[in-house]
Amino acid sequence: MLVLLSISAVFFFIGDLFLGSVHIPFSNVIDILFTSSSEKSSWNIIVLESRLPRTLTAILCGAALSVSGLQMQTLFRNPLAGPYILGISSGAGLGVAIFIMGLGFLGISLTHLTWIENYGIIISSIIGSSCVLFILLVSIIRLKDIMTVLILGIMIGSVASALISIIQYFSYDNSLKSFVMWMMGDLSNVSLTQLKILFPVVLLGLILSFLISKKLNTYLLGEDYAQSLGVNIKKTQFTIIIITAILAGSITAYCGPIGFVGIVVPHLARLISKSSNHIIIIPLSVLIGTNMLLISDIISQLPGSEKVIPINAITSLIGIPFIFWIIFKNKRISELN
Amino acid sequence: MNEILNIASLCVGYDKKPVISDFNTHISSPCLVTLIGRNGEGKSTLLKTIVGLLPSFSGNISFFNKEISSLSTKEKSTIFSIVLTQPPQIGNITVRDFVGFGRYPYTNWLAMNSKKDNSIIDESIALCGLTDFAQRNFANLSDGEKQKIAIARAIAQNTPIIILDEPTSHLDMVNQIEIFELLHRLVKEKQKTILISSHQLQLAMHYSGEIWLLNQGKVEINNPTFFKENKTIEQLFRLENKFKLL
Repeated sequence: MLVLLSISAVFFFIGDLFLGSVHIPFSNVIDILFTSSSEKSSWNIIVLESRLPRTLTAILCGAALSVSGLQMQTLFRNPLAGPYILGISSGAGLGVAIFIMGLGFLGISLTHLTWIENYGIIISSIIGSSCVLFILLVSIIRLKDIMTVLILGIMIGSVASALISIIQYFSYDNSLKSFVMWMMGDLSNVSLTQLKILFPVVLLGLILSFLISKKLNTYLLGEDYAQSLGVNIKKTQFTIIIITAILAGSITAYCGPIGFVGIVVPHLARLISKSSNHIIIIPLSVLIGTNMLLISDIISQLPGSEKVIPINAITSLIGIPFIFWIIFKNKRISELN
Repeated sequence: MNEILNIASLCVGYDKKPVISDFNTHISSPCLVTLIGRNGEGKSTLLKTIVGLLPSFSGNISFFNKEISSLSTKEKSTIFSIVLTQPPQIGNITVRDFVGFGRYPYTNWLAMNSKKDNSIIDESIALCGLTDFAQRNFANLSDGEKQKIAIARAIAQNTPIIILDEPTSHLDMVNQIEIFELLHRLVKEKQKTILISSHQLQLAMHYSGEIWLLNQGKVEINNPTFFKENKTIEQLFRLENKFKLL
């Protein structure tokens, strides 16, 4: 299964590189990838500086969101948990809203300042999600029950959304559009230079998640059993939430909030492997997530069309039928956990 | 003295409210101890405090002169294993893999079982009479079967002390008898010390080596014969005219 998914990921990877608004013959795409030479120099730029970063981002995005979603489902023993359940992305959203629309208030329009805009969005998003993360970690120390932390996370999310809508209401058209575009999720904003930061961060998060698979497994038995098996509950909660913040936070910062992947993919991984063992389902989620985002990205490029459909719309449109399918096939979604 | 379990001036409770105070006892040889008491007397609280899942208010609990509260979670996991009232809700796992959780304190970060781990797992499954179930899906079994598997998991953890918090509450009489029978055998054959809380007075009287009777914040300790004769339990549960203990 792992082999099959790896092969399909490579297939979709090449497919994604091949598709776009400019038609470039397949053999040329391959040539450009391996030898950086092509008939037209513009093709070179399109493939290496636009399509390759976007495709690589799709891969990172799929892997990171799926694994962080899986961790949240395990930590909260809740099949509907996802990477954004703790309000980390809403925090990022609030940071970005304040940045984009705050600049608008100062009379600075962002349409000309793309460089500052890009880095500003990333930094403000990281600050926003770090603030939420900090509140969550403090509350873990104070609160006994992890479910209270979950409720707190959801409430932080609502407060952030409320503040965002207030800011939106008072903001100018231009900045409002920039923000809405960010909320729709975009894989194409990440340049190769930015990938050099995003890639190691996501890789670190994924490796850390795999290293704690055994601890995640004990969570399936409940906290008391986990503790009696020698797992330090508080320390593990800390680790899981920090890893999720690294994975979901960094992706949100670069690509905006991308929905549903994080909820659906872990279920698919359990369904396919018929296992709850994280040592198996973490790598499987990485592969399924990668495939799913590549497919979504291919669909969003709709061969030949000039416009690109927002990736968030695609992941939800693919994601929701999957959830229905899982519900009707299994009747009891909770038993998958 | 080298005691398996030594409890001195222990005070336990929850939400800053003490339920049992100044509790002293020691267990010097493997034994099946049953905790009896009405709901809310603190049976679960006492058991969870002993294994270190809850902090004590004051007092000492030690295992062979080692203070439990000073040990790491990891070290505690090689002394105590637990079985809780509710069987864990977990899907997509075979019975054998579930019992394999018991080996987690001893395996590497990938949870790879060694030959020794595998033979301990198989032995625990056999001891509980579950060999035919080994490859079944845990989620599809009855509550009684699940609790036996939870006990097999605790056995696989290979700890000198096993703590069970009302493990038979949801089970029928046959399953309850089988579980007490199994625990009794573990004491005799595997030299385990077992602390169990239960409302099954008759089974407790029949199988236990020692009874801890929790009543209004105090713990009365004696052997079943004593309690049968002095009728405290019957009075406590107001059984005088309705039922007779064994």
